[in-house]
Amino acid sequence: MSINPLSNGNCNGRIANADSRRGFLQQASAGFGWLALNGLFAQRAAAASIPQHAPCAKNIIFCFMDGGPSHVDTFDPKPMLKQHEGKPIGKIGEVDAKRSQRSSDDRVWFGSPWAFHQRGESGLWISDLFPRIATVADRLCVVRSMVGELPLHGQQNLLLHTGRILGQAPSLGAWVSYGLGTENRNLPGYLVLNNDWVPNGGLENFGSSFLPASHQATMMRAKGEPVDNIKPGDTPAVQRRQLALAAEQGRSFAAHSSDALAIEGAIANYETAFLMQSTVPEVADIDGETEQTRRLYGLDSTDEHQRFYATQALRARRLVEAGVRFVEITCPSFDSNNSPWDQHGHLKRNHEKNAQITDQSVAALIIDLEQRGLLDETIVFWAGEMGRTPHTSKISETSGRDHHVGCYSLFMAGGGFKPGVTYGETDEFGISVISNPLDIHDIHATILHQLGLDHTQLTYRHAGRDFRLTDVHGRVIREILA
Amino acid sequence: MDPLGWSLHRVFYVWLTLWVTGQGLATDLISEATGTVADAQTLAFFESKIRPLLEKKCIECHGRHKQEGGLRLDSQPGWRQGGNRGPALVPGKPAESLLIKAVQYVDIDIQMPPEDRLGADDVALLETWIQQGAFDPRTDVAPASNLAATEWAKAFQKRLAWWSLQPLRKFHPPDVKITEGTLEPVDRFICRSLNDVRLEPASPAEPEILLRRLAFVLTGLPPTPHQRIAFLENWKTNPTTAYETLVDRFLASPFFGERFARHWMDAVRYTDTYGYEWDNPAKGSWEYRDYLIRAFNQDIGFDQLLREQLAGDLLPSPRIDREREINESLIGPAFYHLGEHRHGSSLMFNGIHQDMVNNKIEAFSEAFLATTVACARCHDHKLEAVSQRDYYSLAAVFMTPRWTSRVVDLPGKHDIAIIKLQKLRAQIQREMASRWLSVVSEAGAFLPKILSRANSVKELSEVTIDDVLYPLTLLTKGNTDIEKRWIDFAAEWRQARAKRIEANSEFQILADFRKPIFPDGWVWEGDGIKHGYVVDGTPLIALEGDLIVARLLPSGFHTNALSSKLPGSLRSPPQGSIARKIASVQLAGGEFGGHLVVDGNAFQNETIGFLNSPEPTWISFADTPLKNGVTQVTIELTTASLNPNFPPRTGLAKGLAHTDLGYDKRSWLSITGIVAHEKAETPQRTLQHLTTLFEGVLPRTEDEAVQRVRGWLMATVRRWCLGKSEEGDLLVLQWILANDLLPNVADAGTPLATLLAEYRAVEQGIAHAHTVNSMDERGSAKVRYPLNVRGNVDVLGEWVSPDFLSMFAGRNNVSESRGSGRLELAESLLQPSHPLTSRVYSNRIWQWIFGTGIVASPDDFGHLGAIPSHPELLDYLAQELIHGGWSTKRLVRRLVLSQTFRQSGLVSPLAREIDPGNRLLHHYSTRRLEAEAIRDSLLSVSGTLNPALFGHPIDPPRVAEDSKKRLFAGPVDGHGRRSLYLKMSIMEPPKFLAGFNLPDLKLPTGRRDMTNDPTQALMMLNDPFVKAMSQHWAEQLIHQPDSSSGGRIATMFIRAFGREPDRSESARWSIALTELTPEGCQNVMTDALAWERLAHVFFNSPEFIYYH
Repeated sequence: MSINPLSNGNCNGRIANADSRRGFLQQASAGFGWLALNGLFAQRAAAASIPQHAPCAKNIIFCFMDGGPSHVDTFDPKPMLKQHEGKPIGKIGEVDAKRSQRSSDDRVWFGSPWAFHQRGESGLWISDLFPRIATVADRLCVVRSMVGELPLHGQQNLLLHTGRILGQAPSLGAWVSYGLGTENRNLPGYLVLNNDWVPNGGLENFGSSFLPASHQATMMRAKGEPVDNIKPGDTPAVQRRQLALAAEQGRSFAAHSSDALAIEGAIANYETAFLMQSTVPEVADIDGETEQTRRLYGLDSTDEHQRFYATQALRARRLVEAGVRFVEITCPSFDSNNSPWDQHGHLKRNHEKNAQITDQSVAALIIDLEQRGLLDETIVFWAGEMGRTPHTSKISETSGRDHHVGCYSLFMAGGGFKPGVTYGETDEFGISVISNPLDIHDIHATILHQLGLDHTQLTYRHAGRDFRLTDVHGRVIREILA
Repeated sequence: MDPLGWSLHRVFYVWLTLWVTGQGLATDLISEATGTVADAQTLAFFESKIRPLLEKKCIECHGRHKQEGGLRLDSQPGWRQGGNRGPALVPGKPAESLLIKAVQYVDIDIQMPPEDRLGADDVALLETWIQQGAFDPRTDVAPASNLAATEWAKAFQKRLAWWSLQPLRKFHPPDVKITEGTLEPVDRFICRSLNDVRLEPASPAEPEILLRRLAFVLTGLPPTPHQRIAFLENWKTNPTTAYETLVDRFLASPFFGERFARHWMDAVRYTDTYGYEWDNPAKGSWEYRDYLIRAFNQDIGFDQLLREQLAGDLLPSPRIDREREINESLIGPAFYHLGEHRHGSSLMFNGIHQDMVNNKIEAFSEAFLATTVACARCHDHKLEAVSQRDYYSLAAVFMTPRWTSRVVDLPGKHDIAIIKLQKLRAQIQREMASRWLSVVSEAGAFLPKILSRANSVKELSEVTIDDVLYPLTLLTKGNTDIEKRWIDFAAEWRQARAKRIEANSEFQILADFRKPIFPDGWVWEGDGIKHGYVVDGTPLIALEGDLIVARLLPSGFHTNALSSKLPGSLRSPPQGSIARKIASVQLAGGEFGGHLVVDGNAFQNETIGFLNSPEPTWISFADTPLKNGVTQVTIELTTASLNPNFPPRTGLAKGLAHTDLGYDKRSWLSITGIVAHEKAETPQRTLQHLTTLFEGVLPRTEDEAVQRVRGWLMATVRRWCLGKSEEGDLLVLQWILANDLLPNVADAGTPLATLLAEYRAVEQGIAHAHTVNSMDERGSAKVRYPLNVRGNVDVLGEWVSPDFLSMFAGRNNVSESRGSGRLELAESLLQPSHPLTSRVYSNRIWQWIFGTGIVASPDDFGHLGAIPSHPELLDYLAQELIHGGWSTKRLVRRLVLSQTFRQSGLVSPLAREIDPGNRLLHHYSTRRLEAEAIRDSLLSVSGTLNPALFGHPIDPPRVAEDSKKRLFAGPVDGHGRRSLYLKMSIMEPPKFLAGFNLPDLKLPTGRRDMTNDPTQALMMLNDPFVKAMSQHWAEQLIHQPDSSSGGRIATMFIRAFGREPDRSESARWSIALTELTPEGCQNVMTDALAWERLAHVFFNSPEFIYYH
């Protein structure tokens, strides 16, 4: 009888703690994508990971603009919209109908309520919606030619995060955690700085799906206990005593167990967990930051939501410094809207509100990282899940824009992306891409590339095939790399 | 070929030739097939630049052997004809040529070559080539080589040889020499494999170890101290019978069904919600969960379960639970509905049904066949004998039935109550008739009220000819020439009536509700419809308040005619098969009775409208143009209980609280007319009710006129009382009733009051319907489903009819079915000769018992799956399963009675070296509890477990709620209910369970991950639930009359670990207790905190969540 090498040693698919991973993988290596081995071998010591190629960046901070900020009001100026404001969109808009939520009937062009200016030495176009981000224009690599798949939040969110409109696949952050591991054993590899907000598409946006659950995001909230279960339930002395007893008991159990490694792994995890109880709040605690830094991020704001966002942005920097590979920041929901940037109505009022909440902190993050010499090794990735229609149903004070996936904008800063450039072009009304269209797989591939990971090699076997973040798509966009 | 383009092309060449000749540079060349002329330079350009470029970058996928997208670029006719998107290039016009667009990567949907993008130079070459006319001498088309097909056929045949597709073979359990004990056949297979590598099984496990193992494996709960004592007692007498008794006891425990139902729920990706933006509740999902629990507890054969899940709605004799009065089989197809349902409909966005069908195919093929059919959505399977066409033929099977809600209550469940209600209604009607008859016999009846009502009209314009009051208002306003007014009025009426009758003749009446029948092809469901037909004037009995009769009903179907608890729905045939462009239905309804426009068999549909009026209104449904692969649109009229999408996403049902999940709701709907027509108008009233008013001599005075009106009203009432109502009377009666002209209150002590009370009591006693999202194939035509070229929903290929995978061709009758073929599909899977069904399921059982399957990848028996460790044993078990009537318990019993199961967890150094993964089963592996078992153990050990079975899902605890997404926080201990009752919300699954590897709720997961990470330690350390359980346990302990702390620690060991502590452990825990006791404590035995701390350590000890 032959024993299948694939299943050899694979007891319940268990991956024990880092110590036993090596032993486990020695037996079961063929079951994993090769690259993941590197990540899994990347143990607790800092920078022990063995990426596929020399990386440019070590970390990524993803500022997720949930709901779809309007491209024609932020990074993609369209003077034609103002000129034709109120006029029916006619034939030009029809190309939009296929993907847009609305038909082209009864739609009129809607000029941006904000003026656009060229900023910095690069002359990058940014609207007055983002006065602070405008000050770091020379650091941004703006892509204007993103194309999505379906103008619906759930689908686009999952596409942005997991590379599939259906989800059912690991999040970008989970892949990075899987591929690179964490540099700090007392911190998770993938953190989402959130405030108990479940975005459309659900927590799956931050999930590990078929990857081991240890790669799913740990959520850190802006107010209250930063991370679930991080607050010790008893004094350190009592906990120490309890853990000593549990460990002692566990070790005698391990001695009688056929899988001592797993048991010892579980015991070791308690040690880590115990330390996390102090490490995580320490990293999350921004009180020790200088007044100057706190003001830079906007922590002195009178607006609660802006303070939430500033808190999270500043924490993101601290987490990156502490060795977390992937940090995502979600937008606070300031009203009962389905998602923060989703302005079907009241574009002016509520886009301004969202901008006020996020603009200063995002800019501060870039400035702060740069001042600390971290920007080169940290990708700041700013993106929503889609853009918004350049047209509306009627021009009024309360006009809004609907979902748009024919084109939209996003940007990267730092991490080896070309600074002060825009890439890709849309037509004069901001309906479609006319040059260099990209989809999210291209962005994913490029980000992974900067982190030293080849998106075609970072795979995991599941349901009969080797899955990767970019599925069968994606290419590294070298034109936007420095 | 485009003739115009072609001629331009020629002109261009002529010009080019002339120009070239004029320069005297080259000899003309004539391309034979086309007659085009080119010079040597053009030819050289093609041969040196273009041909190599095409060969290198394009031909591999667009040549003889492969024609991706139907396109060939290896000949001129090839690109002229083009592929699915039309000609590949337009000579002379690079900008209009698809080829150029593709290589420029301007369109996100078409970027070629897909991997190795052309450089700018190469693109420029192609542009030049096309600009100059796309000269191409390659006129010979290599015979449209069918190589792709041939190769597929070859590959297919080869793949059929895969082990899992071979017939089951018969193996006798090998002879194995053993020194002691008896061996089950299973053991013989295992021992032989061990012997082959010179290994021995481990020694038998100690009774306590065995008890704990068996308890977790069969019930998912730790053994209770009582079970332990009893078992150890029996063991002393006779270990064999003690163990057998224990096995049978656990198999008979209701916890067994919960445990095994949850296993199967993993395989079919069970959820309570539908995910995406709104996380809508999945109607009746929990009924399916309870159905599984009952089925495993009752040991319903897996053959029956398979049949029911695939085609439970089609079974000629469904499985009936007499006690619960439900049709169990009808719940099975809820299997299809699990998983994510998309927001938006197929007609709004392309891709909706395609993506959802993909998820269904994935779940079906992995759960039952361990085959990854979903991989063939975009192309023939890369590894398995599954073609792309196979995928779409299966999609056609699943898309043929309507995915909708069904009543799973037994037909006739409420018949006794219904007959009572009908009788009572008739009695009440008779009583009312005699009462009202006496009223209209009184002199002067009605008169004052008629006049006062008429006088209350301030403006004549308030009233129209449709109002019953209309004749009176005409008479009382101004007082001259009554006779003329009456004549004018009659004329006005006649004219209006004629006009309306004329207009109404445009309508084709599809249903004449003077009889209780629906038009052909309309399918109904539910007691509300079944008993809902009434003739004009039937009273609707008021269910509360002072009134007796709430309304008089027009003829038609009223789901609430007897009780608004009765469900009802009516579904139209596909719009295209209804005559005329528009179908209009006269509807009334309330309490979220409504209508849906269903495109295809859309799973989640937001084209939903609710009715909120007792007044019948015509609602029109115009034919919807089909697109996006949608083959039909139907109209569904339904009460909330039978609405498959109820409650809809928050905000769509006005007035429905977000917390209202649609359980046990009253809801109603009336259907009183169905017509078809071309123009947008709807039928009008014909003013029939006035006919009798104008019969007889002309009134000459106001008094005569008023008397005439009064007489008209009274005659109408009289006719109703005598059961002789005429058309149009109802409107008048309704007015009389609404205006309080007739007594409608039951005075206490009267027979009417008794009847009314009785009616209401009987109605109260009717239970709300059990409804589940299931399948309905009645009235469904076979669907042909379009193959999506390369999986692209915008590029349609062949339309494929329902069929099963070609690897099983000739072994099923799916394609011959007159319907979807689901029942035929199920039956073919249950053929004893089927190579996969019994293997796949018996492998699952093996895995549930031993932790790892004989095939370690339970959802994938294909080329990327694992190879069976004991193929002969697998076949043996598969056949045993079939012979045992597909009984789960029978097979489970055999496995847990085997010596293999009863081995200890001790592993010898040799075994560890030879087979470190224990694939040969030389000991029982150490296993970590699944998430549910961890939480359930905490409940059980702490004494918090509530053993109730079944019911609505329970919200897990949450830090923050989101009412718009219906994410509500539940109690920290979930009311002590077992974990499988926690709400499995796709949007945010229960966190505690997710932390311990609850699978992704959208993926079929036959085998769970068992990760081991610090966040789990954090949960066990600090989660409020674990803390609460520690407190609860301590609270109980301090009230126990234990004599010593050592004794108490021993009872804690028994509860938490199923064993007593040894001496060193006793010492260890006693010391710890002292150190964990708060300072200043007087009596440790009653100090809750000390014991809570200790309890907490039990929960945080690995032994609590591992067993072996």
